[in-house]
Amino acid sequence: MNKNMNQTTLHPYSRSVSIIGVGCTPFMYTVDNPETNGLTEGELFGYAALKAMEDAGVTPKDVDYYFHGEASPLNGSNYLTPNIQIGNWFGMKGKGSIHHSEACCTGYLAIEQAVNAVASGKYNCVLTGAVEFGDSVPAPFGPSDTVETPKHPYKREKMPMERFLATTMWLYDRNYARSFIAPMNLIYDDVAEDYVRTRGISMQEMDDTLNWMAINNRRNAAKNPLALERKEFSEIAREKGFDNVMDYMRSPYNPKMGDLLRMEGMERKCDGAAACIVCATDMIPQIAKNLKHKPIEVLGIGSAACEATNPHFEIRATEEAVRQVYELTKVKPEELDLFFANDFIITSHLYAAEVAGYLPYGEGWKYICEGRTAYDGDKPINTNGGRTSFGHAHAASGLADVYEACMQMRGECGERQVKKLPKTTMLRGYGGSQNVAAIIIRTVD
Amino acid sequence: MSIKLEKVVEKFYESLEEGKILGRKCCSCGAVEFPPVYACNECGCWDMEWVEIDGEAEMHSIVLPAALSSKPEYKPLGKYAYGEIVLKEGSRFNGVVRGITKKNRAELAAKLPVKVKADIYQRDGYKTVVFDLVED
Repeated sequence: MNKNMNQTTLHPYSRSVSIIGVGCTPFMYTVDNPETNGLTEGELFGYAALKAMEDAGVTPKDVDYYFHGEASPLNGSNYLTPNIQIGNWFGMKGKGSIHHSEACCTGYLAIEQAVNAVASGKYNCVLTGAVEFGDSVPAPFGPSDTVETPKHPYKREKMPMERFLATTMWLYDRNYARSFIAPMNLIYDDVAEDYVRTRGISMQEMDDTLNWMAINNRRNAAKNPLALERKEFSEIAREKGFDNVMDYMRSPYNPKMGDLLRMEGMERKCDGAAACIVCATDMIPQIAKNLKHKPIEVLGIGSAACEATNPHFEIRATEEAVRQVYELTKVKPEELDLFFANDFIITSHLYAAEVAGYLPYGEGWKYICEGRTAYDGDKPINTNGGRTSFGHAHAASGLADVYEACMQMRGECGERQVKKLPKTTMLRGYGGSQNVAAIIIRTVD
Repeated sequence: MSIKLEKVVEKFYESLEEGKILGRKCCSCGAVEFPPVYACNECGCWDMEWVEIDGEAEMHSIVLPAALSSKPEYKPLGKYAYGEIVLKEGSRFNGVVRGITKKNRAELAAKLPVKVKADIYQRDGYKTVVFDLVED
C-alpha cells in the first residue's frame, strides 16, 4: 500500500441502475460564431437535458430530481446556485435539485451522484447534467457595468487564457499547496516523468507517444460532428509544408509547454453541456415505455481523491479508484471493450489505460504509437476525440464521455463506430486537484 | 485525547519565521505529517504532537519547470526542479529542489533518489520550505 493512501471497500448497490438516455451539445467556442454567440447557460443545460429525456423516451414529468454540475459557476456565469438559476428551462420547475462541483471531474461524479440516489430507492428516475462556459464570461457592456456584476442579460465575451489560468489557482489549497509551489506545477508533467522513469523508455519515445495521443484523438474527433477541432494533424502538417505529420508535431508549431508536454497535449477549453437520464433498471418498463435502445447498467464506480501536495496524485488516486471498482464488480481488465480517460493533460490517457489493465503495463505507449488506440484500432480510447480535440467544457466533459460511450455501445456512432460493438466500458474521471472516478458500465441484454 | 480547534497553519508559518520547520507526529503510530494537519493519515489517530523536522530528505523524481509551470515570481529560486520529496521522518510530498538544471538533470535522474536538505525560503510576504541538492 502506498504511504498515506487510505483504501475503501465498496458494497453493491441496493438495486440495479441504468443509463437510459443521453444528450450532448456540440462543444464549441460560442462567442466566435454568430450562430452560437448569445447562447445562455439555461439554453445549453436545457438542450442537453431535454435531448437526454427524448433519447430515453421520457418527459420531464417522469423525472424525479436533477443534479447540476458546473466547475466554476461564479466565474463562468456569476451564479452561486446554478441548479436553481436555470431551473425553469426543461420542464422540471419546483422539483428537487442540487448543484455540485468537482472541477474537471464533475461530469463523472455526476453519474456517481445520480446512481447513488436511484440505487438507494429514494428516486426511480433522475436527470444528471453539467454545463460550462469554459471559453467565455459575462461581459460588462456599457459604462455602468462591471466584470463582477454585468447588467446585460445575455452577452458574453471571450475568456482570455490569463484569466482562465488565474482561476485554476483556486483548484489548489491556499495554506500549503500554493505556498510550496511544486504541487500546482507538477500537474503538467508528473505522469509523463513517472512513465519514463518506471517503464524505462526514453524522453524521445515519450515525446512521440504524447504526439501520437494528440494525433489519435484528432483522428477520432475528425469523424465526430459534436467535436470542437476536426481537422486532422496530417492535413494541417501538409498545409504547413511538412511531408510527415510527426515532423510537424515535433516542430515549433507544437511547442513544448511543459517539461515534456507539448501544446497539442493540452485541453481545448470551450463551452458545452451534456446530460443523462438514470433509472432503476427494474422500473424501465413502467417509466420509459418508449425506450428504443438497450439500457446501459452502471456496474460500479470507484472513487478516490488525492490532494496536490501528495506525490503522483493522479497515479495514486487512479490506482485506488480502479482497484475499488474491479473489486466490487469482479470485472476483469480483459473484459473492457472501450476506455475513456479525461485527458486534459494528454498523458492521462496512456497512464490510466495501463493502470486499468486495458493496455499492458509498460507496453501502452507502443499501442498508441501504432495507432491501435484510435477509433479503428483494437484498443479504442476516447473515441469522441478527448479533451485535446473534442474539447473541454470542464464540468460537462465527463458526461460528454458518457454520452459517447453509450452511443458506441448502442452502435450509433456512424463513421467513428469502433470495430467490435462494445459491451463493457470503463471511464476514468479526473480533475479538481484531484478527484478521480473509475466507472464501469455494461449493456443490459 | 479530544480534538482541539487549533491554529496549525499559523503555527507552522510563524515557526518558519523563527527558523524552525515543524510537522506533527502521531502519538499512536509515530507517523509524521508534513505539512502539519490535525489527524494521522496512516492510522487515523488525532492525538498528534508537534515535532521539529530535521531537514534531511530524498528527492525521488525530477520535473523541470517550463512555460506552463513557471512564473516570474519564481525567478529568485535560481535553477530548480519539482519532485517527490521523502523526509527522513517518512513524510512524502511535492516540493521544490534548487540546484537542478537541464545540464545535470540526466545524471541526477540516473541515480535517484538523491539526497536533499530543507531550507527556509522567503517568498513575497511569508516564508516557505524548499530544498537544496546535497553534493556527494
